[in-house]
Amino acid sequence: MKRPKLLEQVLKSLVSKPATVQFPREKTEVEPDFRGLQYADLTKCTGCSLCSIECPADAIKMTSIPQEYEAPKTNPRRLYPLINYGKCVYCYRCVKVCPTNAYIVSNKFDLAGFTRLTSEQFSLSTLKKVGA
Amino acid sequence: MSKVVEIPIVTTEVPIGPQHPALHEPIMLKVYAEGERVVRVEINTGYNHRGIEKLCEKNSFYRDIFIVGRVCGICNAVHANVYVRALEQILDLYPNKRAQYLRVLAMELERIHSHMLINAVMAEIIGFETLFMHIMLDREKVMKAKEILTGGRVMADYMMVGGVRRDIDEEKRSRLRDILLKLKPRVEYYKKIFEEDETITKRLIDVSRISYRDVTSHGLVGPVARASGVKIDSRASDKYDAYGEIPFNVVTRNEGDSWARMMVRWDEVLESIEMGLYILEHLPSDGNPVPDEKRLPRKFPPGEAYTRVEAPRGELTYYVMSDGKGQNPYRVKIRTPSVNNIINSGFMYLEHSLADVPVILASLDPCISCMERVTVVDLEKKTSYKVHLKDLAGGRV
Repeated sequence: MKRPKLLEQVLKSLVSKPATVQFPREKTEVEPDFRGLQYADLTKCTGCSLCSIECPADAIKMTSIPQEYEAPKTNPRRLYPLINYGKCVYCYRCVKVCPTNAYIVSNKFDLAGFTRLTSEQFSLSTLKKVGA
Repeated sequence: MSKVVEIPIVTTEVPIGPQHPALHEPIMLKVYAEGERVVRVEINTGYNHRGIEKLCEKNSFYRDIFIVGRVCGICNAVHANVYVRALEQILDLYPNKRAQYLRVLAMELERIHSHMLINAVMAEIIGFETLFMHIMLDREKVMKAKEILTGGRVMADYMMVGGVRRDIDEEKRSRLRDILLKLKPRVEYYKKIFEEDETITKRLIDVSRISYRDVTSHGLVGPVARASGVKIDSRASDKYDAYGEIPFNVVTRNEGDSWARMMVRWDEVLESIEMGLYILEHLPSDGNPVPDEKRLPRKFPPGEAYTRVEAPRGELTYYVMSDGKGQNPYRVKIRTPSVNNIINSGFMYLEHSLADVPVILASLDPCISCMERVTVVDLEKKTSYKVHLKDLAGGRV
């Protein structure tokens, strides 16, 4: 029985670079349409709560827009979807069911940190402040 | 005058699991051994019960598509596919050809990486960690292919009632083809290692040889059954989605031992690569495969559906019942191949040594998170009659 040429493979591995990526010092390459962080563009959002109803992980909670922000007239109830990224499973059901296509999608996936990350800062940054 | 003292052989009870370095998932094998020889094995499960079937009843039909995908991480696309096909049968709504081909592509990519994973795990269990690393490195290529196709490395979330959730363009098609073409020689190389390497053949050949008769009497499914010569494959018998149009062979072997079970998996990987290349070559363009999720029917008529799919581990069946009253299914029943293969596998360990126990378990490709639920058989009526699955599936009986 002839042995397979595993030795050749081992020698090749000795001279080649490690296959692993030194994350987080080195970025992992992901596809541009990888399902990553998503948040609602509040200039388009009408506060209809459909994404919150459809979310399979119950990660979206409809929250009122703070008084210092100018809410668009299409959003009379001044509600916006607040996504808890710790709970989110990134299935993009919210993105697909949104009747106004208000969701902004990205391929950002490295969301680990010391604070609880929500979509508050991302979503509110799409709105103007009162008087600004 | 010397006296002969007989030392009685004591049966030792060796609990393997639920947390054990040789096992990757929480299952307990209570092994009774006389010396090194295994005389009895009790299989205890229930360490990973999450109540997903109840969760499905509490959530809407559409939310359940993503919940059932999380029954098992490795075979998430097949779980979602079989559930979505059950919903399609209740709604009487069917996807177009392009969507069916893309579904098959996603499921075959999943089969490739699932089989590569268990072969790598088998190499690790028998102490060949270099091979484990090499297979896992090449498995990354498949994960990348899945990422290109579905948008997620592991969790595909690709199936939707009436089609799939994203289409592929020409660029993605050529990238996927390149990946599959690069993968093929690597898989052939690993298959050759499994055939020729002494470390592997000494540990796997003749370990837990099961006969055709044992497989049929214990109801084993998937590659375990096919390794003993039983030609059972839902893809070939049901021809769901586009499997009726894509040419493929049902791989069987006659050896019936642990080695044959791993070799069946390597041959299936090669078969799946060929199927993937065929799909990419002959992808039909009969319309948009992506349904508008906003316009899908909200109301489900009363009805029931029973669908099955060939998961990487064997036949996976779903029963979905709608009472037509609300947004939620009345009942979702899941039966996974691991239930058959693990619960009924006690006889396979007998007369082998203790060191063979992890090898035999790994050769069954256990998926404990899939199998933690109960099967109830009704014996009250004691009548039997034959019903075609297609009649049963649409609830027309």
